[in-house]
Amino acid sequence: MTGDSLLERPIRAIGRGWMAGAEHAGQMGLLLWGTVTTTARLRIPLRVFANQLYVMGVQSIPIVVVTSILSGIVTSQQGGYQITATVPLYVLGSVTAKSIALELAPVLTAIVLVGRVGARITAELGTMVVSEQMDAYRSLGRDPLIVLGAPRILAGLVVMPLLVGIANIVGLISGMVCAQIALGLNFETFLFGARLFWYSWDLFYSLLKSLAFGFAIPLISIHMGLRAGGGAEGVGRITTASVMFQTLTIFTLDAMFPALFLD
Amino acid sequence: MRHPPVLRYLGTHKAFGKPVLKGVDLDIQEGEMFAIFGPSGTGKSVLLKSTIGLVVPDRGDVEVRGDSVFFGGRSALLAARRRARYVFQHSALFDSLNVYENVETGVPPEQLARLSRGEAASAIWRALELVNLDPPQVMPLLPGELSGGMKKRVGIARAIVGRPSILLWDEPTTGLDPVNTAAVERLIKRLSRELRVTSVLATHDVEGALWMCDRVGMLEGGTLRFLGTPDDFRSSADPVVRAFVDRAAAEAALDEVEMQ
Repeated sequence: MTGDSLLERPIRAIGRGWMAGAEHAGQMGLLLWGTVTTTARLRIPLRVFANQLYVMGVQSIPIVVVTSILSGIVTSQQGGYQITATVPLYVLGSVTAKSIALELAPVLTAIVLVGRVGARITAELGTMVVSEQMDAYRSLGRDPLIVLGAPRILAGLVVMPLLVGIANIVGLISGMVCAQIALGLNFETFLFGARLFWYSWDLFYSLLKSLAFGFAIPLISIHMGLRAGGGAEGVGRITTASVMFQTLTIFTLDAMFPALFLD
Repeated sequence: MRHPPVLRYLGTHKAFGKPVLKGVDLDIQEGEMFAIFGPSGTGKSVLLKSTIGLVVPDRGDVEVRGDSVFFGGRSALLAARRRARYVFQHSALFDSLNVYENVETGVPPEQLARLSRGEAASAIWRALELVNLDPPQVMPLLPGELSGGMKKRVGIARAIVGRPSILLWDEPTTGLDPVNTAAVERLIKRLSRELRVTSVLATHDVEGALWMCDRVGMLEGGTLRFLGTPDDFRSSADPVVRAFVDRAAAEAALDEVEMQ
């Protein structure tokens, strides 16, 4: 009996894991399909969409700018520390530009948005679930996915590339200023280095990443919010789970990008 | 001649881990005011929510004006939701919308598309007046700025603005003080008569429901334990029903449970 249960337990756990994974995938697939059909039929509530552009985009600009300034400073300083006498200092321009465009701007902006936007969406929708507001939408013959889901996903797809664009510019400028102050590298030499190894594909890659993150953050946060239950405690639990899920997804997507697009 | 029922619950089963409804059969007639009583957790709200597909039964069906809610496809479900409007226990007003916008969501989208802005505004104005609210005063307010009684009234206005033929009331007086309870009960009775709607109430407020309703039912152990008129309910000899009618019987029933 004990042997059976010892054998059964891991199999059950694997089965439960697969079931949960399939359930998440199925629900997110439905959410995605709902967004696609809503957009195709031009049924996006424009007021909600505009509001989300403001909340997710405009209100995120200050924190994205601060994060980008700091990441530019760190990249420039640490890059300068690693460059030895055998490597010309202008390479720092390339190191900083590439690090920011390929990795830091999209990933750090995404992490900022997970905390600022993703957690907010999950908590907001979760509260609507537990206070029966979602049921109220359904009872009135309205699809909460159209009213609440689709505008957020579309807003994520629009604002994320713009925010990453801002992060790229601000990060590069702060790195350049820092290189001059800390290492005495003038702007012209820094930019010469930055241009020397720069490919236009790098910018495209950066924006491609931002699109993937801009899609994943609202999709997961809405999906998790709609799974809320169990009052205020349940909303707190699902918001924490949502932030973890989004963060892991960002890093997983980030790890997949070089293999898919940089070979 | 007896008309076909407006609402039919056909062997409705629902379990959330353990069974809540174990095959409820119930017919509700046109224009009737019907109340469902029962101890907490006996599935009153579940039964009410199944009427418009907010809860999907594990077995059985619900028919709204002869159309199956669960086997009639999406159009039948949407038709049921247009015909029957739900008044939520805690109002369930949309936090980010003001009172005007909240009530506006109660107008079916296809109806809203046909109305001019002025016509829509006057329909919302009328709905707010019907629930004894002062439209110019409350329309710009957010739900967070309203008292409990006002929230209930806005929830009712949202339910009636689309002129449904059926109203489903989920614990409409829960959480209200006695004065507001009496006011909301009067309002329910008046609206049901004035708008000529069929009303189904899930409630713990036995006295209010017996005063308002034409017929009452009592859920216990997942099935209908009692079905009849308010007079039948008051004179019932069933100890479980008696426990709902008077305090002394409730105390006796409690003593018996504790003894066991």
